[in-house]
Amino acid sequence: MSLAINYIANSLLILCLVTSIIQSRFLFKIKNYNLLSISQISAIQFLSILVSFVILIFLFITSDFNFDLVYFHSHSEKPLIYKLSGVWGNHEGSMLLWILILVLFNFLFSLSKSSSQKFKEITVAVQSLMIFGFVLFLLLLSNPFNINNENFNDGLGLNPILQDPLLAIHPPILYIGYVGFSLIFSLSITGLLTSEVDKKWATVAKPWVFAAWSFLTAGIALGSYWAYYELGWGGYWFWDPVENASLMPWLSATALIHCVVVLQRRNTMQSWTMVLAILTFSLSLAGTFLVRSGVLNSVHTFASDPGRGLFILIFLFIILSSSFLLFALKSERINKPSLHNISSRNTGIMVNNWLLISILIVVFLGTMYPLATDLLYNQSLTVGPQYYAISITPIIILFLFFMILSPKLSWEESKLLKILDGMRYILISCLTITFITTLYYDLFNVTEILIIFLSLILIMSSLTSGLNFKSTKVIVKSNFGQSMAHAGFGIFMLAVVSNAVYSQEKIYEAKVGSKLQLNEYIFDFKNIEKEEKVNFNSIKAYLSLSKNGKDLGGFTPEIRFYSDPPTITSETSIIHQFFSDIYVVMNVPQNQESISLRLHIKPFMNILWLGVVMIILGGIITAILNKKSYRENEIN
Amino acid sequence: MTDTVKKRLIKFLVSLIIFGIAILIIVYNLRDNIVYFYSPTEIIENNQTGSQIVRLGGLVESESVVSDGDSIFRFRITDGQQQISVKYQGILPNLFAEEKGVVVEGIYMNDGRFIANKVLAKHDENYMPPEVIKSLKETGKWQE
Repeated sequence: MSLAINYIANSLLILCLVTSIIQSRFLFKIKNYNLLSISQISAIQFLSILVSFVILIFLFITSDFNFDLVYFHSHSEKPLIYKLSGVWGNHEGSMLLWILILVLFNFLFSLSKSSSQKFKEITVAVQSLMIFGFVLFLLLLSNPFNINNENFNDGLGLNPILQDPLLAIHPPILYIGYVGFSLIFSLSITGLLTSEVDKKWATVAKPWVFAAWSFLTAGIALGSYWAYYELGWGGYWFWDPVENASLMPWLSATALIHCVVVLQRRNTMQSWTMVLAILTFSLSLAGTFLVRSGVLNSVHTFASDPGRGLFILIFLFIILSSSFLLFALKSERINKPSLHNISSRNTGIMVNNWLLISILIVVFLGTMYPLATDLLYNQSLTVGPQYYAISITPIIILFLFFMILSPKLSWEESKLLKILDGMRYILISCLTITFITTLYYDLFNVTEILIIFLSLILIMSSLTSGLNFKSTKVIVKSNFGQSMAHAGFGIFMLAVVSNAVYSQEKIYEAKVGSKLQLNEYIFDFKNIEKEEKVNFNSIKAYLSLSKNGKDLGGFTPEIRFYSDPPTITSETSIIHQFFSDIYVVMNVPQNQESISLRLHIKPFMNILWLGVVMIILGGIITAILNKKSYRENEIN
Repeated sequence: MTDTVKKRLIKFLVSLIIFGIAILIIVYNLRDNIVYFYSPTEIIENNQTGSQIVRLGGLVESESVVSDGDSIFRFRITDGQQQISVKYQGILPNLFAEEKGVVVEGIYMNDGRFIANKVLAKHDENYMPPEVIKSLKETGKWQE
């Protein structure tokens, strides 16, 4: 039975390999027989991988331990959702998921009607060449369907810290983001090959770019939210190498989405758009696989295997060198002379592009420096979070300033004084609010005040530009997605700064019955209990929270002891209030009398996530509204 | 040299200079914020006492963990050759245990004690920080 499944799955992978070769024929001058259309062959590519993925899911659900992958990463007593997430909680399975998304994008694009036949053929051919490479890698070096000849009764289990509903959906969402940029990459290569990087190209690419960017943002946000409540360190971002590896393509992608808009409107910045498209995909590849390869020393590295890192580095090298060579040969031909005034929106967007790339360089150096010193001087070190805070803060201030200014500038030429005049109400009200908050909260740090002030202006000016307030009704304008995302970023920055300034933390060695205090909050430590669950045992503490005699709810922080594999995890307990999160973590009891409890007050966390959600929604809205707004602008 | 080439050259040089300065600032800032990692032997050899925050890693020596109450813990970190006494107030990570790998961050005092403000947690019970593996290999205490 297992052997039959193994044959079927491998045959399906080989079928995908063969169809991918057929699809890439458009890159070479091979006679076209047209037995099947491109979208039909793409459908075969997609279905072959989809079915093999479903087979893998089936193997995990039925706990077939004749397969190595299931044996090493699953356990028969695991709840269904974690059997499912075990499918991509390991190297081989996540590789198959990655390929599944790759063929899905290929298939969806082959169905789209926005581009010419020739353009579509070449794009699908480039994409298929990549599919070929990855499927070959999967078959030869990390086959998920390898079988063993032992008769194992049970599997080794999945790391309990990964047994979390959020972490079951985090990798697929993040991968859709990463892999989405493969299509942008293929589009760029096609654009360079045909020397057609223009308004038309941007119109074709725009919905895909925005969709991929939205998923990438959502993926990073989910990972960050998971770290916030699961790791129990009270923070949501640790500048850990793995987090940085996902932030770098995001920074480059954020620059890219703006360039695509400029290209669509003004038919300029062709070369820069191409560079960003290639860079974003390369960083996405590096992001996924350097994490998996174990090169980066991180708390997030789970399924690591250094042997495979080499293949990815070679693959990355081939992609980078060939695409930049192509770019060097063709960039002269795609560039049109740009005629724009210095005080136009182009300039503003260009400046912020440079600022995003500067942040990217800061993050890159911080991530790579420890690797370099380890290799060169055999000296182990880490880069403190302070480095990122100090380096990025001044860039963010400039970034916020240009984010406010750029949308106010027209594409032709604008008078700065006139813009200032148009914003006078916003400026005055924001200045007043900032002044009052500064006095009320005793804020004296200039950078903090400046960021709060600029964020406030950004929120207000973005919201007022996206909505048109007529006497009785509110009209949603075509730039609604943009203004929503920009306002979201303002809200996000506001929350980040306030959170950094007002977070509180205290550790107590507490006995049952004692009352603990942090600021005006009283924590009443009521009880401690042992519980037995299906796949773990736990110790649970019960606390209730009150403020000024008013009851605000209860906490149940928990320590879980898993048996397969044997691991201990802490479950944090959070009470979400509108303006602040109250957060309790408990320690593994060291003696019978008392336990250590860590209490946190994390202000503005809800508002921070609200900002992130607005950014993501803004991206999705722009991806969907793309065509409509383009037509609208043609009429204008 | 034509005008356009000249213009391009100037543009290129100016951006190179700006870029260079930016990188210098970043690297300078980076050097201020790095935290070095030492094994007990290295920290004694280098005599890294004083105000600088460093990381120290090795194995938690067996039967060395003492709880003083009030979440204060004392334990010794060893690499097989040297031991350092560590004092830490706070919550110990779940995977902290005797004879397991550990990395602490803090200050190495003049009297040879290490005052830790962080004990780093790792996810996996079999996980050994790569730095600790490296230093154990150097002292010959590493067993596969």
